[in-house]
Amino acid sequence: MSVSRRGFLAWMGAAGITALGSQAGATPRHFKGYPQSLCVLHDITLCIGCRSCEAGCNKVNELPPPAVPFTDLSVLDKKRRTTAKTYTVVNKTAASGQEKKPIFFKTQCNHCLEPACASACFVRAFTKTKEGSVTYDASVCVGCRYCMIACPFEIPTYEYEEPLTPRIMKCTFCHPRVTKGLLPGCVEACPTEALSFGKREDMLKLARERINKYPGRYVDHIYGETEMGGTSWLYLSGVPFRNLGMREDLGTTPAPELTSGALATVPMVAALWPVLLTGIYALSKRREKILSGDKQNALAQAVAEANAKSQAALTAAMDKAKREKEEAVQKAVKAALEQSAKKTQEQ
Amino acid sequence: MLCIAVGLVIFALSAEGYKTPEQKADKDRADIILIDTSPVFGRGDKPPVAFPHDRHTEIMAEQKKDCFLCHLKESKPQAASAGPAPQPQSTERMSLKFKRLKDTNLKEVRRIYHDNCIGCHMSMAEKGQEFGPIICGECHKESGAYGSARKPSGMDNSLHFRHTKAAQNKCETCHHAYDDKAKKLFYAKGQEGTCRYCHKMETEENRISMPLASHMSCIECHRLGKEKKLEAGPVTCAGCHDSKERMKIRKVEPLPRMERQQPDTVFVKTLGKDEKADIPRMNPVPFDHKSHEGYNDTCRVCHHASLTACNECHALEKPLKEGNYVQLERAMHQWDSQKSCSGCHRRKQQPKECAGCHLFIPQGRNELSESCLKCHMKPLPDSASVPLTAEAQAGLAKRLLQSRVPVNGTYATEEIPEKVVIKYLADKYEPVTLPHRKIVLSIVEKMNESKQAGKLVSYFHDDKATVCQGCHHNSPASVKPPSCVSCHSRPFDEGNLMKPGILGAYHQQCMGCHEAMEIEKPKECVECHKERKK
Repeated sequence: MSVSRRGFLAWMGAAGITALGSQAGATPRHFKGYPQSLCVLHDITLCIGCRSCEAGCNKVNELPPPAVPFTDLSVLDKKRRTTAKTYTVVNKTAASGQEKKPIFFKTQCNHCLEPACASACFVRAFTKTKEGSVTYDASVCVGCRYCMIACPFEIPTYEYEEPLTPRIMKCTFCHPRVTKGLLPGCVEACPTEALSFGKREDMLKLARERINKYPGRYVDHIYGETEMGGTSWLYLSGVPFRNLGMREDLGTTPAPELTSGALATVPMVAALWPVLLTGIYALSKRREKILSGDKQNALAQAVAEANAKSQAALTAAMDKAKREKEEAVQKAVKAALEQSAKKTQEQ
Repeated sequence: MLCIAVGLVIFALSAEGYKTPEQKADKDRADIILIDTSPVFGRGDKPPVAFPHDRHTEIMAEQKKDCFLCHLKESKPQAASAGPAPQPQSTERMSLKFKRLKDTNLKEVRRIYHDNCIGCHMSMAEKGQEFGPIICGECHKESGAYGSARKPSGMDNSLHFRHTKAAQNKCETCHHAYDDKAKKLFYAKGQEGTCRYCHKMETEENRISMPLASHMSCIECHRLGKEKKLEAGPVTCAGCHDSKERMKIRKVEPLPRMERQQPDTVFVKTLGKDEKADIPRMNPVPFDHKSHEGYNDTCRVCHHASLTACNECHALEKPLKEGNYVQLERAMHQWDSQKSCSGCHRRKQQPKECAGCHLFIPQGRNELSESCLKCHMKPLPDSASVPLTAEAQAGLAKRLLQSRVPVNGTYATEEIPEKVVIKYLADKYEPVTLPHRKIVLSIVEKMNESKQAGKLVSYFHDDKATVCQGCHHNSPASVKPPSCVSCHSRPFDEGNLMKPGILGAYHQQCMGCHEAMEIEKPKECVECHKERKK
């Protein structure tokens, strides 16, 4: 028995288990984010590399004190990644010939609209909340770190130094603060408003307006509008995003759409597989039988129709050819006769 | 094994035997000519050859040989212009092709190149001289092996003046027009224009391309001049196409005006030439043509297709083919085009002394309607309608232009607040004292000294408070503008997304301006914000 992905998902739907897959599961059409969900627009042209956002993040999330104080900007000389102790980092591009000054930009979890981490997680430790954040529940995490592999932005990190209760660590979009109506720590700390906070649709509008009003200042692209199906962090830049080391090869398809067929159903596989399969198999077999009966009838009819049509066309074409041939012969005969008549006249 | 050894020896010999001049610097040369037969004969099996032309000219000169070692003489078509100045009656000229007059067929052309190039290199090798490549791959390098620093060349008004003088005001030396009926070139007095109006980048029918026309005529004339030991222009590639060499071309200063019956003052037409005046329209723009001649290096900056009035090709209502379907309003206001008034004026806002304020003014044409009247001036009270004759129009335009009152500077020094104390971020830092008066005065000074912006400043900054509006924007110009916080109270205002909060407003404005004006200080936070003593 061959089972298509669509067919398999239809089973799941039939069995009423989509509740499990509704948030990170496969959706045939593009999910544009929860309405009114929140978002940050990072205008890279306004970032001055002061690391205030890092400090703000560290403070509100009560992360361990940094090895180098946040006022020390020499750390920017080396490319950094997020770690289990820093949810966000500011990086600097080397000043190249084209740009007179180095460009600073902030990196953290982009809070995808349809997160790859969540689709990879078989214990459903990640949730895309209606506020926009992708939150993590350490209590169910088994430490497989699939999320770290799944994330196209290489954001989730792991507390390798924690022997007993290691957790996945990543930006929470300050979910507890945001639900209280406060700004995320980094946004609040940014002195230049290189980070703007608001509803995603508003941030998209703002980004578009900035590009429209200052077309010379920005490249005409809002990073995160469609990348990986869209993210809750958006970026504007004055240089192509690839120059900043940001991936431009991600496409617009959300990760779960690529993987959910296999991954999102894993939890069910573990618990309910035998029970479900038996029932569903019987159900679907029955439906398939009915369907295939219908299908065969329809097919036979279509074939008959097509045959009749092509036969008619063939006959018409052959008739035409025959007619033409006859005409040509007649014409030739006529011409020959005329010619011979002429000749006899001349003689 | 033996093969490899032989190969290596040959390679070593070939590498030792000769030296391509400045091989490493090839990428920076302005004289690289790509010998590529593919446009004529189709793609060959070897990559095209990057040929350093000036290097060969140098060697010719060293060996006391002339251009005709490589270039043949061809008879000059009778239809051509009266001819270069030093030898107007000559019937021959130098062909630009190498050792041939025509591209006959690939086999023949290939033979010409191979025989002559390799032959010459070989003969030099035999004489024990430094010699050029003789092995296929040394000339036919894969693409990327060559590069060019060639800059497009052209004549500016200063150079044109020098040529006019050298040709003793005989414009027909170079300028010609084509008579369609008689099928020949003739000189049309008073109709002269830039070569590029007719000679495009590619040859079209019987009209040769600009590169061909210029190399044929310019170099020929320079060469003949040099032969006669006259002061003549460059004959090498670098002379015209190298950016450093181009800088050496002497500029005439002060530059006398070009003579082409152009007006001193004129009304820029607000209607296409065939359009009637009953269409609602703007006031015609009085235009100081004479001054604008001095603001540009060439006439073709504005007169990009012909030396006629703009409305000859651009109409207000109808997109015309001759105007490339650009309508008159666009032709004048397209902000990102150098050919338009607005585009060129906007470019004048880009130098650092202007960018500090102008950086924040959104691009595109969204000025207040008030500023339209800066160019579309209201008619003078005594002459509401534009007179019909060109002379009367020029006179009225001149009067309108003279009625403008330039404003230089801003309010009296004592009226400008000396210091402004900013108390935000007071939890971390001491209040910031902004040296307000010093900033204003320094901006005004830089603005008035700006060579780029010139008269634009005194005319468009028409109010004493205009300069204040660089920072105190979006409120009416006033000696006491509202404080920043009255608008920038809180960030991320859903009602006005583009409006930053107070922190963003200050940092974006101050730092954005400092960066645009290339002001070094302050580098650290504490240079503005003194650390708060605890």
